[in-house]
Amino acid sequence: MGLPSLTLLGQSLLSGLFIGALYGLLGLGLSLSWGMLRQINLAHFALAFLGAYLTYQLAGAGMDPLATLAVVVPFFFALGVLMHWLLARFSVSAFNSLLVSFGFTAIIEALIQWIWTADFRRMESAYGEVKFRVGALYVALPELLTLAMALALSLLVWAWLRHTYTGKAMRAIAEDAPIAAAFGVDVRGLSLLLSGLSAAFAGVAGLCLALSYTLAPGQIYAWLGVVFAAVMLGGLGNPLGPLVAGIVIGVSEALTMALTAPAWAPLVSFSLLIVVLLARPGRI
Amino acid sequence: MRARALAGFAAAGLGLSAVPFFGPPAFYESFLYLVFHWIVLAVSWNILSGYSGYFSFGHGAFFGAGMYTTATLATKAGVPFLWTLPLAALVAAVFGIALGAVVFRLPRLRGELFALLTLAVTFVLATIVLNTPIDGGPGLYLSAVPLPAIGPSPSSTFYLLGLALALATLWIAREVQRSRLGTGLFAIHDDEDVAEVLGVPTYRYKLAAFGLSCGLAGVAGGIQAMFISYVTVGETFSIAVPLNVVLMSVLGGSRHWFGPAVGAAAVTALLYAFTAGDYAVAGHAAVGLILIVVILFLPEGIFGELIGALKRRRVPAMPPIDAAGLPAPAAWPGKPEGQALLEARGLCKAFRGVQALAGVDLEVRRGEILGLVGPNGSGKSTLINVVSGHFRPDSGRILFEGRDLARLEAHRIARTGIARTYQIPRPFAHLSVLENVALPAMFGRDAQARADAEREARRWLAFTGLAAKAMSLPGELNLHQRKFLELARALASRPGLLLLDEVFSGLTHAEIDDAIRLIREIRARGATIVFVEHVIRAVMELTDRIVVLSYGRVIAEGDPRAVMREPDVVAAYLGKPRA
Amino acid sequence: MLEVERIRVSYGAAPAISGVSIRVGAGELVCVVGPNGAGKTTLINAIAGLHSIEAGALRLDGRDLSRLPRHAFCSEGIAIVPEGRRLFSGMSVRENLELGSYRRAARAGRAGSLDRVCEVFPILRERLEQPAGTLSGGQQQMLAIGRALMAQPRLLLLDEPSLGLAPAVVLAVFDVIREINAGGVAVLLVEQNAALALEIAARAYVLEEGRIAAEGRPEALLAQADIRRAYLG
Repeated sequence: MGLPSLTLLGQSLLSGLFIGALYGLLGLGLSLSWGMLRQINLAHFALAFLGAYLTYQLAGAGMDPLATLAVVVPFFFALGVLMHWLLARFSVSAFNSLLVSFGFTAIIEALIQWIWTADFRRMESAYGEVKFRVGALYVALPELLTLAMALALSLLVWAWLRHTYTGKAMRAIAEDAPIAAAFGVDVRGLSLLLSGLSAAFAGVAGLCLALSYTLAPGQIYAWLGVVFAAVMLGGLGNPLGPLVAGIVIGVSEALTMALTAPAWAPLVSFSLLIVVLLARPGRI
Repeated sequence: MRARALAGFAAAGLGLSAVPFFGPPAFYESFLYLVFHWIVLAVSWNILSGYSGYFSFGHGAFFGAGMYTTATLATKAGVPFLWTLPLAALVAAVFGIALGAVVFRLPRLRGELFALLTLAVTFVLATIVLNTPIDGGPGLYLSAVPLPAIGPSPSSTFYLLGLALALATLWIAREVQRSRLGTGLFAIHDDEDVAEVLGVPTYRYKLAAFGLSCGLAGVAGGIQAMFISYVTVGETFSIAVPLNVVLMSVLGGSRHWFGPAVGAAAVTALLYAFTAGDYAVAGHAAVGLILIVVILFLPEGIFGELIGALKRRRVPAMPPIDAAGLPAPAAWPGKPEGQALLEARGLCKAFRGVQALAGVDLEVRRGEILGLVGPNGSGKSTLINVVSGHFRPDSGRILFEGRDLARLEAHRIARTGIARTYQIPRPFAHLSVLENVALPAMFGRDAQARADAEREARRWLAFTGLAAKAMSLPGELNLHQRKFLELARALASRPGLLLLDEVFSGLTHAEIDDAIRLIREIRARGATIVFVEHVIRAVMELTDRIVVLSYGRVIAEGDPRAVMREPDVVAAYLGKPRA
Repeated sequence: MLEVERIRVSYGAAPAISGVSIRVGAGELVCVVGPNGAGKTTLINAIAGLHSIEAGALRLDGRDLSRLPRHAFCSEGIAIVPEGRRLFSGMSVRENLELGSYRRAARAGRAGSLDRVCEVFPILRERLEQPAGTLSGGQQQMLAIGRALMAQPRLLLLDEPSLGLAPAVVLAVFDVIREINAGGVAVLLVEQNAALALEIAARAYVLEEGRIAAEGRPEALLAQADIRRAYLG
């Protein structure tokens, strides 16, 4: 089997870059809540899909897809706060938070299926039609938007954590919450804030999903392995981690697909996840 | 007891297998087959995950492995259906054991990381199966495979097969729970490191449980392949299996072999009711909601809470323990006193840059009570941890009765006859006081059978004054009692060398007197005791000799009163004034 | 200024300290000594708000602190240098110090406080951008004290500052503590190294098995052999 042409390779790399950005966007909220709050939120994926479907619905009603963020983001923020409040109220351990979020996932998936059925849904939008040419390669606008949002959010969070009082307080909470409290940090309040932000990010990821992909409820789990791999590879709690790792994974997958067969792509991410789990110590 | 249970199982088996011959409608038989199917999956999952706490999210992988083994062998190799079943079990079990052999070696892969890893394995397997000639994409059709006519109709056959497998699985789960393997697994669940130090071969036991669990799931998969007769990757490796088995076991109660069966029956019936009423989707939502509610409010599961309530109501009849007429716990091997029993030479241990032990040389003589003292941070607890096997030393040797312990696995150190207590008591929280004390007797040097171990445990409970609390859980004891529980547990393996870590801290004056008396008696029976202590009064009254550690080195040793007056020792404790 | 009245603090079922009463006046340097396991860390954690009090009262200038949420203790003017330092080791020296002045009242004077802390501990100025975890034991102790000073406290709590430090470094640390107290900050020092603690303290308590066994001026305690008995039997 001969090597694919340079153009094909280039296009593959580009699509790997863009899908990697989506992995990063999906992984950002997950990495933050796992790394800083010690809560593994499987429901993050279900939330992202819920966001995607909501965007689809609102766009279908005539709203500009980007404008749907004005509705989705606050709503999801509130959901995130609520979920964290529930877990804190019942002092749910890190492991049990995994199980509880498993439960939430099932509920949200069922909700999605009930409202929108299992039929495939594809959001038609003006954005979807626009394509740019870069030399011999094509870039679709939704992909560009995804990359832009992933970059923007990751950088914003990074800047927040690094340069603001509250951001530094958040990092202190992740290191030693009781001592942070002893120096005046409102641990509870900030934790709720972070949880809300994570969920809001899931909503934004949902918009990007809706822009580029066909939606079906069963799809929720398809992203699970890849995104967990990106989160762990990038280092828990590191805001730039999921994006960088996501792109690495995306490009690796794309290359695998171009050089072998498309169906082998999932093997890359799951195998990477397994390798990371086996090779990196403790809480990574 | 076992004969009765066997009879019960046989009766249930006979009774239930008669059902098809009364001509019920096919869909009842199919429904019951599904109930049996999920009972097998949930109960088999529980053997590893419920008992030991290693929650696997990958049960679907082994179920799928079995399914595809049967499908492939039956369609492509023409193997008769029933013969594929043991092969399905084998493939799944081997796969599980291979995975476990790698994963269980890594102590950090517990809890959520183990769950994620097993989930990832499922997806990897699915991708491999999908992209290789095993499936390749279109799935496998088994409609042409002949089904042996075990029952009057195909649905009856599946009913009977399902019933047989369910009974077998339940029996196996029951046997495991009641065996040494089960006890070990439950101990691993509560505190794996302590279990290992007490002599439980944790690695081997986890592998055994995993292998059994996967093998049974494999057979269930094999039968299911025939039942649905069209096998695809998407359906086989979906998230439904792991989600449901976790839910069923957690709902029913994962600490008992029967719990998951209750959960399986309940959830299957629930989902069926929803599907029948055309609310299939709501069924999954209900499943998710129930999982959340159970985690938050019913930690023991429905069946577990029931059993717990029954146990509390019933006051178990205990054979009266007459302390006076108690045969003395067998004296420890009588060997000449005064010789070196344990020798540490040049022990070094560092943690993240802090040198906890910086070349410790000391000797413990047979039959003595040696006190190990020193200011905070001097390395006393680290020394105990290294000798008992919690940590490997970076360098140096530990000679015990001539053997170098430094290279032994922790559970083997217990077999040599060393036992220890923990500064902050670490009992197995879900095991009764009696079970806590019986465990080391089962896994220690003498490796006794359960009945003997429990008898031995009762003796030690009487000795430490805890006889009345034998059936209580450790959480119900106060600090004094928990310390004595630690002591009884350490004694139950009849160690030649007993290491006590701050056994007196937190006790009142009177309780300290109690403990001192106890330790004197233990020594009178022939044990050698090393104890780390801050309560100086106890050190003065009890010890024959003391060793003082400071900054990871021995700075003095000898007669207690004399040593504590030495200027170096005083300075180590009180600090040196500047002038 | 600080009044601790007959407090009881437990871990689980057993009380760690019971019926303990101590006082610290404004600008005083008071130490609590005692053997390991006596409950010193429990006491100081309770005063810092890190552990809840079951019985008794905790008052600062007459205000009852026991009802306050954890993060409000700092705004009352209490800062702690915890046992084992407990720095935010992944964060830089500068960030650790900045977090020390997180409370509103201290934020305004942040730059000035940072300068002052670096004067007291010149070694920190050299390493401002380094991760706190890369500092040596003694330097970490300096940073922990500096962090607490950034909060501009009226009462500084120190839990076993000598732990794990080489003797020469310990002397330096105690010199600093004395200087801080000379600057008007009240200090409550809990320490296993009784000799050094008693050297710098105005008043001392001896804690033994969760209770106050003796109190008074350091010279008196040393003379009475109370301390020797508590530590050495």
